[in-house]
Amino acid sequence: MKKLVAVLLVLALLGTAVFAQGSSEAKSDKVKIGALIRNLNEQFVKDYADNLRKLAAEKGVDLNLQDAQGDVARQLDQLNTLITQGYKYFVIIPQDTSATEQMAQQIKAAGGGAAFSNIQPSVAALKVGKDFYLASSPELVAGQYQAQIIDEYFAKNPEKAPGKVLNMLYLLGQLGHPAQISREAGLLDTLKSLGYTVNLIARDTADWSPDKAQEKMDTWLAAHRGKFNIVVAQNDGMALGAVESLITNGLVDNDPSDGTILTFPVIGIDATADALNSMDQNKLYATVLQDSVGQSSTAFELAYAMATKGSATGMTAWGIAPASQVISEEPANDPAVIAQCYLVPFKPVTKANYKDLM
Amino acid sequence: MEMKKLLNDSKKLASQYTTWVTFVGLLLLLSVLTKGNALRWNSIRNLLIAESVRSFAALGVGMIIITKGIDLSIGYVVCLTASVAASFAQNPDYASAIYAGQSFPLIVPVVAAVAAGGLFGLFNGYLIAYGKLPPFIATLGSMSIAKGLQLIYTKAAVVGSLNQNFKNISQGSVGPIPNLIIYVIIAAFIVWVVLRHTRQGTNFYAIGGNAQAARVSGINVERELMMVYTYAGILYGIAGTLLASRLGLANSLTANGMELDAIAAVTVGGVSQSGGVGSVSGMMVGVFTMGLINYGMSFLGVDSYYQQLVKGFIIIVAVYFDMKKYARRS
Repeated sequence: MKKLVAVLLVLALLGTAVFAQGSSEAKSDKVKIGALIRNLNEQFVKDYADNLRKLAAEKGVDLNLQDAQGDVARQLDQLNTLITQGYKYFVIIPQDTSATEQMAQQIKAAGGGAAFSNIQPSVAALKVGKDFYLASSPELVAGQYQAQIIDEYFAKNPEKAPGKVLNMLYLLGQLGHPAQISREAGLLDTLKSLGYTVNLIARDTADWSPDKAQEKMDTWLAAHRGKFNIVVAQNDGMALGAVESLITNGLVDNDPSDGTILTFPVIGIDATADALNSMDQNKLYATVLQDSVGQSSTAFELAYAMATKGSATGMTAWGIAPASQVISEEPANDPAVIAQCYLVPFKPVTKANYKDLM
Repeated sequence: MEMKKLLNDSKKLASQYTTWVTFVGLLLLLSVLTKGNALRWNSIRNLLIAESVRSFAALGVGMIIITKGIDLSIGYVVCLTASVAASFAQNPDYASAIYAGQSFPLIVPVVAAVAAGGLFGLFNGYLIAYGKLPPFIATLGSMSIAKGLQLIYTKAAVVGSLNQNFKNISQGSVGPIPNLIIYVIIAAFIVWVVLRHTRQGTNFYAIGGNAQAARVSGINVERELMMVYTYAGILYGIAGTLLASRLGLANSLTANGMELDAIAAVTVGGVSQSGGVGSVSGMMVGVFTMGLINYGMSFLGVDSYYQQLVKGFIIIVAVYFDMKKYARRS
């Protein structure tokens, strides 16, 4: 039985060899920034984290980056751990908007501040104090760009949508997720204002996941074949799952002149490397860039300024000035916190410009 | 001679208290690695809070494993009960609330979640005791049912914006002691009383040791099995309530994978998969050993990918020695 103890201890020691470097880096004279990242298994999040690490290395910052692996409870535990270790300034991709106020309160109690990206913090979280920032892209805009891309496509190929009627298969992210709600509103409202009639032939969540999207599409194609003319997904992962499904189900016209060899255009959001590759092969039609470098650089500069100068109020971060006008989306819809919102622009990515990102 | 005896004695002690020795060993190791930082009250408090909800799951599944059963439905049952609790605690002015515009007394979410958990336990217990389904299969089925119900009930949306009174259940503290820790102590004490000081507890051990013999000696095996799963379900209901209260939300990802954490923890804590063996202290030490590993690695900034690896090895090693120990005995 003492063997068990011995083995466990050896294992633990082996473990320490791996992470000894981590702790030896943690010198007290360095600027300390904590990063709480919701799930490194997602491409956008991983790109965001990689850029944070790069920026930290350049500035000689002791960056402690924690992966919540999709678990709100784990993220709160990690925040507690980092606060105990003396980290006060944070860059956060929250797991859930509802938990952000609690996180902000804990950070404020420790005398620090934070910049939130990707998943919006609540208005209440930013109201906890002036040292809490939004460094993210308004999700409505992503949906609006998707609508514009769709409009361009059918303006060039009017025979594919007679009478400006769109019969859409729509793959959603996790329901109730702020990005899910706002991206949908942005897309549908803009299409309507552009004069389209949108019939949602099928609309369901695939939880941001490519394999769930592919499964869902397989089912939809069996049920609704021939009844739709456009496929929209709320992220690239799901869009690529849909592309795979269309290919395996033979919905391919092998005519790339309209920008895709698929019978119907598929549109995503994020502009991940995989998505750009798929565009290069004329599969995915278009996407919208959610700028991982822009968001992480903005958030990092805000946290760095707070850690070194004590405040980031009013500064320009990564060339972006604090917002001055409210938009319709939380938390930037509240004039009381608008100066704490740094809106990193989305960008439509089409055949015209995708090569710039590769 | 003296020396040898001492060595033998300490060997014996170590084998008897493996889980404790491991726990203390890890604690010392971590405190050396962090130059004492990990042993500060703040850190220990963090650790206790982090493991508190899992403790309830572990106490439940620990009792089940003592009867030689297993429960794979924990994660999703806790997810369901957390969602149920959260749905009755949303701010009435929150537009996307499940019961928008209505507010409920604080007792409603707690009772609803505990009832949901208890019913699920009863269902599991009935399938296993009277339906004679293998526990692995029965709870695999109910896991999926719980997941389905959670998605239907919440329409797959986040149940957020919970009221402060409800959040205070978990987030409050008595002086420096967080409420959560007090709940865990109470629950562990009750489970200890049931296991060690009631006829029913003795029956659980007897059934796990040898169900046939237990039946021959007059124990109503079916009834006791149904009870043990129901007790566990009630504990999951409490776990769900506390988790929702702590996080201030519940969603379809809440508590995912908790069954594995809980089963691993009690196994590391010396509750044998062969049935009939295990103690409340072992379960709790198991939970905090796993917690310490999680917490320590997170404290030291170990890459999350390595954390999974180390955890996996530790579980395998613990079960390996556990199996060896009881293989030798029989």
